[in-house]
Amino acid sequence: MNAPVPPAAASGPDRAAAFAIRKKRVKLLGLTVDDCIKSFFGGNALVSIVVLTLITYFLVREGAGFFGQNRQNLQVYRQAGLEYVDFIRVQADDHTALTRYLSDLRLRSLRHLTETKGRSLDDANAALAPFDEFAGKFGDAVEPVRGIVSELTEVATAIKTKFIVNEDKKEERRQLLAEGKKTEADAVAITPVDFAAELKPLLGALPAYKDANREFTAKLTAVLAAPPALPAPELEQRLQRFTALARDYLATFPAVERNLEAWDFRQPVPATQSFTAFIFGRQWLTASFWQDWYGIIPLFVGSLLVSLVALTLAVPLGVGAAIYINQIASLREQKLVKPAIEFIAAIPSVVLGFFGIAVLGQALRLLSQQSWLSWVPGFPYSERLNILTAGCLLALIAVPTIFTLAEDALNNVPRAFKEASFALGASRLQTTLKIIVPASLSGIISAVLLGLGRVIGETMVVLLCAGNRIAIPDFTQGLAFVTEPVHTMTGIIAQEMGEVVRGSIHYRALFMVGLVLFVVSLLINFAAQKIVRRYRISIG
Amino acid sequence: MNAADHVFRPRLNAARRAEGLVFWLFRSATYLILACGGAVFLNIVYKGAGTVFTTSAPFVNTTFLTEAPESLYVFEFEGKKYEMGDREFRAFKETHPAAAKVKTESYVYSAGGIWPCIVGTVLLVVGSMTIALFLGVCAAIYLTEYAKDGAFIRFVRLAILNLAGVPSIVFGLFGFGMFVIFFGWNVSLLAGWFTLAFMVLPVVITASEESLKSVPKGFREGSLALGATKWQTIRSNVLPYALPGILTSSILGIARVAGETAPIMFTAAYVVRDKLPWDVERAGDFFFQGVMALPYHIYVVSSKIPQNDYTERVQYGTAFVFLGIVALIATASILLRTRLRNRYKW
Repeated sequence: MNAPVPPAAASGPDRAAAFAIRKKRVKLLGLTVDDCIKSFFGGNALVSIVVLTLITYFLVREGAGFFGQNRQNLQVYRQAGLEYVDFIRVQADDHTALTRYLSDLRLRSLRHLTETKGRSLDDANAALAPFDEFAGKFGDAVEPVRGIVSELTEVATAIKTKFIVNEDKKEERRQLLAEGKKTEADAVAITPVDFAAELKPLLGALPAYKDANREFTAKLTAVLAAPPALPAPELEQRLQRFTALARDYLATFPAVERNLEAWDFRQPVPATQSFTAFIFGRQWLTASFWQDWYGIIPLFVGSLLVSLVALTLAVPLGVGAAIYINQIASLREQKLVKPAIEFIAAIPSVVLGFFGIAVLGQALRLLSQQSWLSWVPGFPYSERLNILTAGCLLALIAVPTIFTLAEDALNNVPRAFKEASFALGASRLQTTLKIIVPASLSGIISAVLLGLGRVIGETMVVLLCAGNRIAIPDFTQGLAFVTEPVHTMTGIIAQEMGEVVRGSIHYRALFMVGLVLFVVSLLINFAAQKIVRRYRISIG
Repeated sequence: MNAADHVFRPRLNAARRAEGLVFWLFRSATYLILACGGAVFLNIVYKGAGTVFTTSAPFVNTTFLTEAPESLYVFEFEGKKYEMGDREFRAFKETHPAAAKVKTESYVYSAGGIWPCIVGTVLLVVGSMTIALFLGVCAAIYLTEYAKDGAFIRFVRLAILNLAGVPSIVFGLFGFGMFVIFFGWNVSLLAGWFTLAFMVLPVVITASEESLKSVPKGFREGSLALGATKWQTIRSNVLPYALPGILTSSILGIARVAGETAPIMFTAAYVVRDKLPWDVERAGDFFFQGVMALPYHIYVVSSKIPQNDYTERVQYGTAFVFLGIVALIATASILLRTRLRNRYKW
């Protein structure tokens, strides 16, 4: 095989020619043509591995810089004293939340007086005058603290601006040096920010804050000591709850002061904090004048909730339909329904999203405002685009996936199982629910998981219909959270990617979100495969 | 004793009633799904048909299908209400100088048509499917014809499975990072082609493998027995029989490519572009230009402009045309597959 013509052929040429099949093999780098073709095809088979590797590589390449940049972001937050001011700001914000509670209570009381007791509006307002005085005093008490916050905010922002300008100048100089323009680079004047000096007015405000805080505490205690009377026991209870909350709030004051005293801008930000601030951060706030936060939790929770709502709807429907088509329906029905559901799978998601905006959002809101449905948690609601709208549409996307895979799984159960069950006298229902479904359960579960993967990675529907408000929904009202708008991981990438500056921290944060999404989808896939392999009943 | 009264007659007892009830539940689940799908479909067809078709000859709204998007101007002039596209309005202002000062409401993209989007979508689909079919069929040939079961093949299959589960927006990010930035192709057809091609690759590979596997072993063995090489066997005795199946199953991949918005958002699609793709100075520029695409256009018109009677026409019209194209592709795939299954039975 190695030598095409053996040396012996020279002496006896006829012998070689007489051999009927004489293959002449062309060789290239020691490979025959067939080997080359084989390796060519093999190379193509490698593409999927290569693509998967490249996806990982590019997501990491663009996203990895995030942690360094975020650490610096957090460092500046501390050094410029923003963190310091935020201690006091949180205190003031908590007070605002309490005043909101009071105004809610007033609204309830007013409604009680006008609707239940049938008093006129003026009369009711007059009756609530002591309450208004109480609420007014409570609300005004915060003023000195708030004044300090706004003063310090200006100081801290000024320091931060100074720092950022400096950083920009450093960048400019670096670029000039890279271009070889040394004289121009030297001309760029950089005065390093002396944080200790700059922070003096900030730290110097501590005694003033302590005074203000003492005044604040005294006023609040005085106000809370004399709560007004309210017209109904239920309202009284709420007021008591309020006073309890306010007392708890007062109890946090010493902690704030301690935090302020212990605060030191020189304390370094550990590298892990940049990571935890991303993974466990409860705020995604960009392009803000104060401080940008890149926490994935609100987006992750949004994605998860929308997917859960979608699956709650899609799993019973999809699996039910699969059981029906596989076990109960006639052959003709099967032939009609299966392609129809495949057809639903072909509806592009952006069209579904448009349908949600144009029709479904409005329709669901109208439905929620029907009085006979007011017992449903969260109804009536006013936000047209929310978790529910997006979840309903995503269910329609997940159903074909779940249906097809679950139907396959049911189909793979051997006939003998069914026949044996019938032979023992079981009814069709018993056979279906107790033999066929359990035997294919691993397949059905993996179908559901793959449906989840499909839904969590869906972009256009959630971008158009989930409401795009970056906030963790309020879970205190139970199931009512489904009527709140959220933002999702896929949605935020699609929405913000087009607008960010390449290489900025925001840009890298979006790539990190993409990486998280990628990992989540791989995990779901992995789990689906594991379940199929692990729990498959040995059939045969 | 009549027939209904024999010993084994079905009795309507509690168990049987429960069975009937549960079966009805399953049945209603099935038809609820179909009803929801049907409702979406009919709503868009019903409202979109109003834009795309007209009551007078030629019964098709040619402006909508053959022109580029324009802004719509709505105004009252001399007691009459007018709705005009951008160019028409400018011409109107020239003939009626008094109209220049009239107060108008304008809606972007709501007049004109969607021709550039249709062209862009077709270009994206054709290019990406060519790449995906080439890579996918070659990979499938290796997997079915050459590969021997082993760690490498298991790894390849695992990669294919996982690739199928990657969200489309991640493909978009990847395409942006690799083609647009790293290769410096900018937002271009080429970047979109490769991004979409990699996204449908698993679909194409799976479809091709199935068709290749359905060609009987005897075909290969007969050819090999006659002394043909492996490649000759594949070329003459396997591929011709598998090709129709590969193509029809891959049509479903086409529907997916045409329907995806997220991967092309940052790699190939422009919100608006005046020139058509073939208006390029050098032939090489053709590959490095962004295009408008139907799915992206739907996203833009449904999220970036307000909802009202004027904008609704273009929104529903675009959705209708798009859904029509995708539905045609999907129907073709489903019908062809059924026919093919009946024709090739070995």
